[in-house]
Amino acid sequence: MEGGFTRDMGREKRLLGVVGLILLFLCLLPLVASDYHVSVTLDLMMWIALTASWIVLSGYTGYISLGHSAFFGLGAYLMAMTWTRIPFGFSVVLAGLLSAGFAFAIGFPFLRVRGPYFVILTLGLTEFTKYLFINLEIKLGGTVGRILMMTPSLHILYYSILVVSVIAVATAYYIKNSRFGTALFSIKEDEDAANAIGINTSLYKWLAFGLSASFPGMVGSILALRRSYIDPYTVFNPIVSFQVIVMAFVGGLEDVEGAIVGAVILTLVSEALWARYPYTYMIILGVIMVFIVRFMPLGLVFPIKQRLAKKSKESHR
Amino acid sequence: MELTRILQLVFTGLIMGGIYALIAVGLNLIYGTMRLLNIAHGELIMLGAYTTYWLYMMYGVSPLLSMVLVLGLSAVIGLVVCLFLFFPVIRSSRSIAVLESNSLLIFFGLSFIFTNTASLLWTADIRGYSYMTQVVHIAGVPLMHNRLLALGIALLVCIACYILLQKTMLGKAIRALIQDREASQLVGINANFIYLFSFGVAFGMAGLAGCLLSMFYEITPFMGLPYTIIAFIVIVLGGLGNILGSLLGGFLLGLLETIGVSVTSPGLRPILSYSLFILIILIRPKGIFGRGVY
Repeated sequence: MEGGFTRDMGREKRLLGVVGLILLFLCLLPLVASDYHVSVTLDLMMWIALTASWIVLSGYTGYISLGHSAFFGLGAYLMAMTWTRIPFGFSVVLAGLLSAGFAFAIGFPFLRVRGPYFVILTLGLTEFTKYLFINLEIKLGGTVGRILMMTPSLHILYYSILVVSVIAVATAYYIKNSRFGTALFSIKEDEDAANAIGINTSLYKWLAFGLSASFPGMVGSILALRRSYIDPYTVFNPIVSFQVIVMAFVGGLEDVEGAIVGAVILTLVSEALWARYPYTYMIILGVIMVFIVRFMPLGLVFPIKQRLAKKSKESHR
Repeated sequence: MELTRILQLVFTGLIMGGIYALIAVGLNLIYGTMRLLNIAHGELIMLGAYTTYWLYMMYGVSPLLSMVLVLGLSAVIGLVVCLFLFFPVIRSSRSIAVLESNSLLIFFGLSFIFTNTASLLWTADIRGYSYMTQVVHIAGVPLMHNRLLALGIALLVCIACYILLQKTMLGKAIRALIQDREASQLVGINANFIYLFSFGVAFGMAGLAGCLLSMFYEITPFMGLPYTIIAFIVIVLGGLGNILGSLLGGFLLGLLETIGVSVTSPGLRPILSYSLFILIILIRPKGIFGRGVY
C-alpha cells in the first residue's frame, strides 16, 4: 500500500485543484442547468455516496455486505416518520445516527461470521427488515406505504445529497490513507495473522461497519423526500445493494476513485435505459458483472492506475 | 388440536420440505465441492417452472413428461455455465477468498440476466395452470394429486441422492472432495469431473423443483430469489458442505414453517424463517448437525 508521505507534493496539489474544480462545478450546476440535469446529477451523487461508503467496509476488509439496502430503508422510514415534525436537516443526521447505531448494535455478532456466511447473513438482514416493516405497517396503519407531502425543492435536496456524498468520499479517502485503513486492509489480506500481531480486528471491522452504514441511512432519508412516496418493497429493495456492488466492482474495490468511476458509468447507462427499458438495463448490468469478473477481475480503474504509475516511473528515469 | 389438523400440517410441511430439500441439496453440492455460492439457484427454478408452463399451455405436453425434459435442459445449462464461466475463473483466482467473491458476482450477474430476460420475454404477469387437481383423502386429510406427486418425486430424488452419496464410489469421491480438496486430488480423484457433475446435478434438481412447484404455485419472473434464500436457510441449518444435513434441513424447515405459520399468521412466514436463519447463523454457524453427518 502506498503511504501518504511517499507522494510528491506536486501531485497532491494538482489533485486538490481537480477536486476543487469539480466541487465548484457541482455547487454552481443548479444555477444554470435544467431540472432534468440537476436530478440526474443528484442520482449520480447518491450512488457515489452509497458506493464510497460501501467500500469502507466491503472494499477495504473484504467482508462483502448486502446490508446497504437495509440501512437505506431504515433512513427512508425515519424520514417518513419525522417529516414535518422536526427540521429536515436534523432528520437526515438522525437517520445517519440511527443506521450507524443499528449497525453497531448488530455488528459484533454479525462480523464474527466470514466469507459467504456474511454475504447471505446480510442479504437475510435486508429481507428481514423488509418483511418486518411490511408487517408493522399493516399492524399500525392497515396499509403499506406512506406519502410525504410538501417535500423540499429539488435544489435543496440536491445540495443535501452533495454534502452527504462529499463527506462520504472524503471519509473513504481519509480512512484509506490512515492507520485505520491499514488495519482494515490487513483484515482483507489475512485476518488471523493481523490478529496475531496485535491488531484489534474485531474493533476495526465494527467501526467500519457502523461508519459505512451511516451513509446509506442519510441517503435513504433524502431519497424518501425526493420520491415523496415510500413503501417497504422499494426502500428495502436488495437491488440497491446489488447496484452498489456492481459499481464498486466496475471501478475496482480498493479506492474511492474506483467507486466514483463505477458509479458514474453505471448511472449514465442506467439513465439512458432505466426509464424506458428497465429489463434491458438489468440484463446489461448482469452481462457487465459476468464480463468484468471473467475478463478483468481487478476492475477498470486499478489496471489504468498501474499503467500510469509505470509510465511515470519510466519518465522519472 | 385434533389429529386431522396435525396430520394436515405434517403433510403440508413434508411437501414444502421435500421441495426445499431438492433445492438445497443442489446449492450445497456446488458450495461443498467448489466453494461457490450460487445466488442464481432460484432462477433455475423459475426457468423450470416457465418451461413446464409453456410446454403445457402451448403444446399440451404433460408436466410429467416436461419433468424429464426440464431436468435434462437445466443440467445442460449447468454444464455450460461451469465449463465456460467457472473453470476459467477458478484458474484465474489467486485464493479461495478471491474465488468466493468473484463467483458470487458471476452468479449475481447470471441471476440478473435470467430474471430480466424472463420479464422481457414473458412480462411480469403472474401465471399458473391447473393440473392433477383431484382431491384424495389420506387418513382423513384432503390432499391434491399434484402435491402428492411432488412429495413422491422429491422423496424419490432425495433417496436417490442419499444412495449415490453413501453407497457409490462417485459419492465417496464427492464427499472426499468436500472434506479435503488437495488430499482427495492426491489419491486420484478427478476434481474437474466432479465439479461438472455437481453443476449438472444441482441445476437439474433446481429445474425439477421448478417443474414441480409450477403445478401448484404461481409463476413469475421474480419467484427465484425467495427460493434461493430459503435454500440458504436450509443449507445453513444443515451445515454448509454437509449434503445429508441439507436433506434433513429441508424437511425440518418445511415442517417448522408450516407449524409456525399455523400458530401465528401467514404474513409472518418470512419473518419466522429469517429469524430462524439469523439465529442459527449466529449461534451455530456450522449448522445444527455440526460436521458430523458427512
